[in-house]
Amino acid sequence: MKVAVFGESDLDEEAVRILVDGILGKQTQSVDFRLRARGWPAVKDNLPAVLTHLHYRTDAEALVVIADSDDSPLHQADHEQPGNVNSECRLCGLLVAIGQTLNRLAPVPGRATIKIAAGIAIPAIEAWFLCGSDPRASEAAWLQGGASMRGADFRKKLKRTLYGEDFAPQAIRIRRVREEALRLTQDLSLLESYFPNGFGPLAHAIRGW
Amino acid sequence: MIKSVQFKNFKALRDTTLPLERFTLIVGPNGSGKSTALQALRAISNAGEIDFNRVITTGQRFSAENFVEITLHLGWPYEGSAYGIRWSEAGVSGPHKGPLAAMDQEARNLLSRDLERIRIYSFDAQAIAAPVPLVPNVELTPNGHNLAGVLDQLRDQDHERFEALNEALGLWLPEFDRILFETPQPGTRSILLRTRRGQHKIAATDLSQGSLMALAMLTLAYLPNPPSVVCLEEPDRGIHPRLLRDVQEALYRLSFPESYSEEREPVQVIATTHSPYLLDLYRDHPEQVVIANKTEEGTKFERLSEQPYIEEILRDSHLGDVWYTGVLGGVPAHL
Repeated sequence: MKVAVFGESDLDEEAVRILVDGILGKQTQSVDFRLRARGWPAVKDNLPAVLTHLHYRTDAEALVVIADSDDSPLHQADHEQPGNVNSECRLCGLLVAIGQTLNRLAPVPGRATIKIAAGIAIPAIEAWFLCGSDPRASEAAWLQGGASMRGADFRKKLKRTLYGEDFAPQAIRIRRVREEALRLTQDLSLLESYFPNGFGPLAHAIRGW
Repeated sequence: MIKSVQFKNFKALRDTTLPLERFTLIVGPNGSGKSTALQALRAISNAGEIDFNRVITTGQRFSAENFVEITLHLGWPYEGSAYGIRWSEAGVSGPHKGPLAAMDQEARNLLSRDLERIRIYSFDAQAIAAPVPLVPNVELTPNGHNLAGVLDQLRDQDHERFEALNEALGLWLPEFDRILFETPQPGTRSILLRTRRGQHKIAATDLSQGSLMALAMLTLAYLPNPPSVVCLEEPDRGIHPRLLRDVQEALYRLSFPESYSEEREPVQVIATTHSPYLLDLYRDHPEQVVIANKTEEGTKFERLSEQPYIEEILRDSHLGDVWYTGVLGGVPAHL
């Protein structure tokens, strides 16, 4: 299965692809090039261009979109009820962009609609990879932590814990997220239970493919 | 005007064609052949100076196709003509293509003059700032050296243009209001910029890299007799992103003189960039953007406007951002 991953960094792609393969129980293929965006606004703003490109000009079967929540509100199931979209919620932002783009795309003969899964890491993707080994790494802890778990400093602490230092070389970062992603694929229910609103919808959508 | 350049076995450009407009902006990853394409244009007007063994694509030298060929497909006023040069172990041959023979002598002379006036620039701040000896008919060198001489000449020979250049400089870099000169040694010139507040004189060597780049680009744009083709490497280098529209305007002044009340022939401009911010400015002119892609068969050039579904893909997005995502190509393959 050919799956494109669209995120903010190559770390996202490395790690998310392992998780996707774990959820599907098979190895996926990547598209011919790597998709990147310059930070959160660019993920949302360029998602329509990426999806349009994949639909018309590639044989990609699926797209996974991933972003960090930073300090934005946690996605809630009721956001998906008609009229309840939360404009500050990043997962809502992605789902709206996906819906609007899919409505616009004309059918291409012989091409099935691209399967899409979106996820938001709360507050940053490093939290997912600390899941089960660091008590701060869960949506519940983040909600209860209040101001102490908001801001760039907290996200830096998570990165320091995962990578061992503030300025770890990229090779070490990639090795660490690979190791942790492989650990998590042994029992994905752990990630789903600790991150039900950010990882849960991603896993649910992928299982529906 | 050159409508396209066809390459055979020229360094990384093994078999590809670069489509051109009056203004063309090439984007692509490092090592994708953008600079090589510009060098090729210079090579065609200095065919005798090219060392065949240094320019033939690696691996082609001992193949059946052991030659290098660059062909210009021409537009107005040479519509339908082509001009090609071939290099091989045996030497240089050409021009060898197209209905050049049908051209009258006047047109051939004109073409020959236009080809000689192709210039490639990759500006360097130190070279721009350096004092220069005063010699007649001085022109900018590829790295921007001789700027003081060129400006001194412009002041003496076309005062109106020199004043217009001062005005444009004041809009671009509002802290300055005038270009001045000094004579560090007899027979030499160097540049000073005068500050608007306080009328202080700042030596070129004390100016920022961006200010010097801006001055060199503006000078090019205000030359009374600019080159026929200007190839410019990274005109955004050292320039603040908010000033990139001024860069675009300076280059458009060369390419579209009629829009700037200039009474001279258009200059064909070919620029390269890695800046998504500069690229953003060409959102409405995808025909002016060429994507350079590294492939297993060598570099391939593609005009952005010719990509399928490009209008739908760009839609409401910033062109630079969409390019950065990778969906347009022209990005490093491994990152």
